[in-house]
Amino acid sequence: MFAAPGVTRAHYAALHQRLGHLGAEELEHRHRAADLMMRHQGITFTVYGRDQGVERIIPFDPIPRLVAADEWDRIERGLKQRVRALNLFIHDVYHDRLILRDRAVPPEIILGASAYRRECVGLRVPKDIYLHISGIDLIRDATGEYLVLEDNGRTPSGVSYVLKNRQVMKQAFPSLFEQYNVRAVDDYASNLLAMLRHIAPAGSDDPTVVVLTPGVYNSAYYEHSFLARQMGVELVEGRDLFFDGGQIYMRTTRGPMRVDVIYRRVDDDFLDPLTFRRDSQLGVAGLIASYRSGQIGLANALGTGVADDKGIYPFVPEIIRYYLREDPILANVETFRAAIPAQKQHILANLDKLVVKTVDGSGGYGMLIGPASTREQREEFAAKIEANPKGYIGQPTICLSQHPTYIDGKLEGRHVDLRPFILYGEEIKVLAGGLTRVALPKGSLVVNSSQGGGTKDTWVLRGAPPSPGSIRPEPPAARSGGVA
Amino acid sequence: MLSRVAENLYWISRYIERAENVARLLDVGFHLELDASGLTGDISGQGPIESVLTILACRDGFMKARGDRPIDRESVLRYLTFDRQNSHSILAMCARARENARGTQETLSGEAWSQVNKLYLYLGSPRAQRRFEASPSRFFDGIKRACILFDGLVEGTLPRTEVFHFLQLGRYLERVNQISRILNVKLHGLRDGGPINEPPMRIVHWSSLLRSCSAYEAYLREHHDRIDPEGVVRYLVLDADFPRAMRFCVARCVESLREIAGGDEDEYRSEAERQLGRLDSELRYIDVTEIFGRGLNTFLTGIQDACNRVGDEIHQAYFLT
Repeated sequence: MFAAPGVTRAHYAALHQRLGHLGAEELEHRHRAADLMMRHQGITFTVYGRDQGVERIIPFDPIPRLVAADEWDRIERGLKQRVRALNLFIHDVYHDRLILRDRAVPPEIILGASAYRRECVGLRVPKDIYLHISGIDLIRDATGEYLVLEDNGRTPSGVSYVLKNRQVMKQAFPSLFEQYNVRAVDDYASNLLAMLRHIAPAGSDDPTVVVLTPGVYNSAYYEHSFLARQMGVELVEGRDLFFDGGQIYMRTTRGPMRVDVIYRRVDDDFLDPLTFRRDSQLGVAGLIASYRSGQIGLANALGTGVADDKGIYPFVPEIIRYYLREDPILANVETFRAAIPAQKQHILANLDKLVVKTVDGSGGYGMLIGPASTREQREEFAAKIEANPKGYIGQPTICLSQHPTYIDGKLEGRHVDLRPFILYGEEIKVLAGGLTRVALPKGSLVVNSSQGGGTKDTWVLRGAPPSPGSIRPEPPAARSGGVA
Repeated sequence: MLSRVAENLYWISRYIERAENVARLLDVGFHLELDASGLTGDISGQGPIESVLTILACRDGFMKARGDRPIDRESVLRYLTFDRQNSHSILAMCARARENARGTQETLSGEAWSQVNKLYLYLGSPRAQRRFEASPSRFFDGIKRACILFDGLVEGTLPRTEVFHFLQLGRYLERVNQISRILNVKLHGLRDGGPINEPPMRIVHWSSLLRSCSAYEAYLREHHDRIDPEGVVRYLVLDADFPRAMRFCVARCVESLREIAGGDEDEYRSEAERQLGRLDSELRYIDVTEIFGRGLNTFLTGIQDACNRVGDEIHQAYFLT
């Protein structure tokens, strides 16, 4: 929001002024109303830790994050470019392997990635699309430039919060919202459905699409259910599906019904006990056989994890140049690979300043935040890095930008990132905005919801921002109460 | 529709119906105790609130949980309202309804799901405790309304597809069951020569029986001031228009099951439909003299058995595919 202390960035001026007028009490009230709405609608996620899962609402911060039209234009072009290249990369890795022949990426990094799936070699997928849905995490650095922090090409979650946050904000700040001329996000579900129908097996005129969830105990269950409802399709669990004669059916009150496309929110390893983990209760025996014979569409495709592996990440700019012969529009965050001796030395010497990540970890688990770490933690990581240098990368911590956030009745700066969502169907579409995640504990750099992160609405502006004087006051929010 | 989802829907409305029923029984019992304090209740030694334990068949569980501690009104009310260990408590039932609803959010309307969720969250909140302590009657009234609001949202926001019909089937089948249990227990105390003899008290008890089924005013409009056993039984069992009469409820079940099965009036497609059709015609054509001739207790037990058979057949036909 601020270019320098006390200097508001131009497109934030009207918002800044408006917040000043609202007053602490009104802001607190709107904040609480938003929380209550989330709780009542059951917009929760489950945190796993000590004992069994606890249902929580994801903290919602009522101060929107604004992205100017020209800023967004560049982000959008950059994301499309990146997804196009990553998709070509996955196809190549499982087919011609030109990139291995040309040694643009060290082969052992690709073939040794934990999400590389031997089973996918030579497997043709509908329309050669692998990364149907991706979420690419961006941060803004000190100079204001957006950089890619992480690619998520397996089953990225969070899009339901983008849509819900928008609903809440429209209720809480109707006139501010209206005057800011924000680009809509409501078309996500229909774009998603169109994309899923696009990858149906040849010959199904009116394909049946389902969302496959691991079940109510999964931390993102709310999202699975939300997306199924928004698309008007069935939400199924593994036990609702079965394989028969090469095809997949669901058990319904009127008998078996054929399924053509599965938007699966179950990881590769659990999809089919006959091919992957035998103890999986979440998948469908025979699913992969059906997929191989082209009888079912899967989104995302199998084996896409090879593209979002953190060991591959440092090479993505190279991958873009290799396949597209273009320069990357969005740069990576500077990354040190412990696999390279000189860089390993740098990581070990600067453990207190860097973020160290395991290459196959996700969800904010298994990482070391240097500045917030203890000596014991650093020593533990140093030993792990020495033992398995290929398993770790390091990144500087300085670059996460801050954003005003509502904390205990006041606005304070907190670190944020941005996860836009990209759909790859007939064409590549980027949802205007995305999930802004905010690290709520003071000084924290971890934005994952499982680690105390919250979310904000992200407003991508369609044109010029309103001038500060032109914003009408908000009508006072209605007070509600009453029984259940 | 997915079989798993159909089963969830059916149970959501059964649980909500049960929760509403417990709230209603406790509320009526509470009022009756104010009226008749010091008098013997429906079954020897049991006050009206205690008798709810018998209606819900959880008296043994309560005694066990209670151990040596004395039994008072408050402890029964709390056991039947807030006790998570008691599977018949309002809280436990709403928790199960909510768990089922969470697994079928995308099928229920957003409003209906949010209503179940809100009710569950409310029951576990300090606000519910405060309200219960301030006025049990107002508290129970709030629960009844919350349950009825769920029914209303189902009624008002869902298209008449299988989703709606499985919900309706569960709700009305449960209601028949509950009415027969209430009649069985309450009429026991009112039989000739039973513990309640004094004429004014008999009126109080008959009225409370009607209130337990929200039938008091409707009954009076229909039968004026004659509150007698025949009249009450005829109304709660055989009336075709009152939504808490067995015959009405069974007719709704028949309608919904027929819609689900996709058949018509002239044929049945499953054992569940056949059983339900028989129950429906029995309630259409039996008269109150025959009920008393057969023995009310025998008759009501027969109804409960029929309901259980229908429930089993529904499971076989639709949930175990």
